[in-house]
Amino acid sequence: MRLAKRSHGNKLDVNMTPMIDVTFLLLIFFMTVNQVSNVNKTQVSLPQLKGSQDQSEGNLTINVNQAGEIIVSANTVTLPQLISLLNGELNKVQRDAGRLLVVVRADQRGTCRTVNEVISTLVKLDITRVRIAVESAP
Amino acid sequence: MKLTSRSGRHSSKIELQMTSMIDCVFLLLIFFMVTSSFQKAERELDPAVKVERPSLAQGPKDLAPAIVEVVRGAAGFVYKLGGREFVSTDELTTVLSQFDNKLDGAIVRAADDAPFSMAAAAIQACKTARFANVSYVPPGAK
Repeated sequence: MRLAKRSHGNKLDVNMTPMIDVTFLLLIFFMTVNQVSNVNKTQVSLPQLKGSQDQSEGNLTINVNQAGEIIVSANTVTLPQLISLLNGELNKVQRDAGRLLVVVRADQRGTCRTVNEVISTLVKLDITRVRIAVESAP
Repeated sequence: MKLTSRSGRHSSKIELQMTSMIDCVFLLLIFFMVTSSFQKAERELDPAVKVERPSLAQGPKDLAPAIVEVVRGAAGFVYKLGGREFVSTDELTTVLSQFDNKLDGAIVRAADDAPFSMAAAAIQACKTARFANVSYVPPGAK
């Protein structure tokens, strides 16, 4: 009977290599898919429509939440403040409104009142390149 | 010259201390797992959505563009096209698709208290019906 004699001299050898491989794989996956939060995009419930093309980067993103507040770069702004922001953006493109692209991200649960005000403001500043963001529906 | 005579040099193993590294890796992994969130892809409704200036809208035309309005009806907001009212976007899209003149585009106009989802859906319906240009005109800028 020599049952216990073998096990005393052996070390428990756990092979860590596959675990580290999987862990690194998961780590790299989450680091890759974890996009850096975009301050221009406020959390709003966009209309679920199929749209017509993928979203491109606009010069200015105007968010309108359900309550009708205008949010630009995570700051709630009033209409006069929005005008000054738009003027600043226009100055960046040498007052050429055709080069300015504005993306309007409005909450589908809200009304058109603020959106109409924003678009009327854009009209006054000769900004005609306006795009409406939607959430791609299946 | 007894360079190779040190005992134990050949027999010693290089041991890497993995514990602290695995700790850090697990910490980072848990951090990214907790903080990451998957967002739905956003699209744009239409690059041809334009804001029509009031002066341009008043120009005389031989063929008038299709004007879709989101107005309050008897039982809530409806889509109004000419004298007809539609409740669903499918009906609106079907009627818009039957328009012969699509080169002059379509105009979407939504009342201030209309739901934005309906205004966006009206623009989408015009685009689905293959209108060349779809313009969104605020009610004050007729």
